[in-house]
Amino acid sequence: MATDANNKSFTIVEVIDGGPLKITGNLILKDPKKEISDSPAEVSLCRCGRSCNKPYCDESHKR
Amino acid sequence: MERENNTYTGGRRYRNDDITVYWKPDACVHASYCYRELIEVFDPGRRPWVDMNGSTTDRIIEVVNMCPTEALTWKWNDEEKNKDISPDQTNHVIFRRPELLIEKEKVLEKNPVSIKIMMDGPIVIKGDFTFKYSGNNKEMKDGIISICRCGASNHMPFCDGTHRKIGFEDK
Repeated sequence: MATDANNKSFTIVEVIDGGPLKITGNLILKDPKKEISDSPAEVSLCRCGRSCNKPYCDESHKR
Repeated sequence: MERENNTYTGGRRYRNDDITVYWKPDACVHASYCYRELIEVFDPGRRPWVDMNGSTTDRIIEVVNMCPTEALTWKWNDEEKNKDISPDQTNHVIFRRPELLIEKEKVLEKNPVSIKIMMDGPIVIKGDFTFKYSGNNKEMKDGIISICRCGASNHMPFCDGTHRKIGFEDK
């Protein structure tokens, strides 16, 4: 199986201008303070510091 | 405690009777394990910021080993003892507390990217991934980046430690 080639760039970490950090693919998300340990296929993380649902983005950056 | 310029690492070194701790500021991603775990030794607000008299040698080694980069490393002062260091006694190999473990086995098996939310600090991302930023695509191979989460970094999108100055709290 050519899994190595398929896995290349499988996970994408994208900085959205004026928005969150969007991560898709093969990932493990850990937040000890919020007791989160998860492997979502896609997640948007707050970068502005204002989300009411940290570490996740709740679109507060637009307000 | 003794501090001196260090030509070996290009950083600084701090000694007690047993070990020398090496500090390479350029490698720091502000993951902040060191001062959260052992502020008595690693206090970013103090100069010099490392006080080797603040704790025991065992505890200092334990916390230095939590550093996810090579910003903090250590060696025995007795070179003979360094020959006997096993892999599990050095940085990057184990994190002794389970809640700090960065899924080493899983990374080896399935290659997931580790996304770690640091308490009141940045997002630390480790592994193989494509990093998209301002229209650029960068292939990261066993890479590590630290992304600002407080909104106040002067080096966006990367963490520069400002969260500590502004007292960012993750509520």
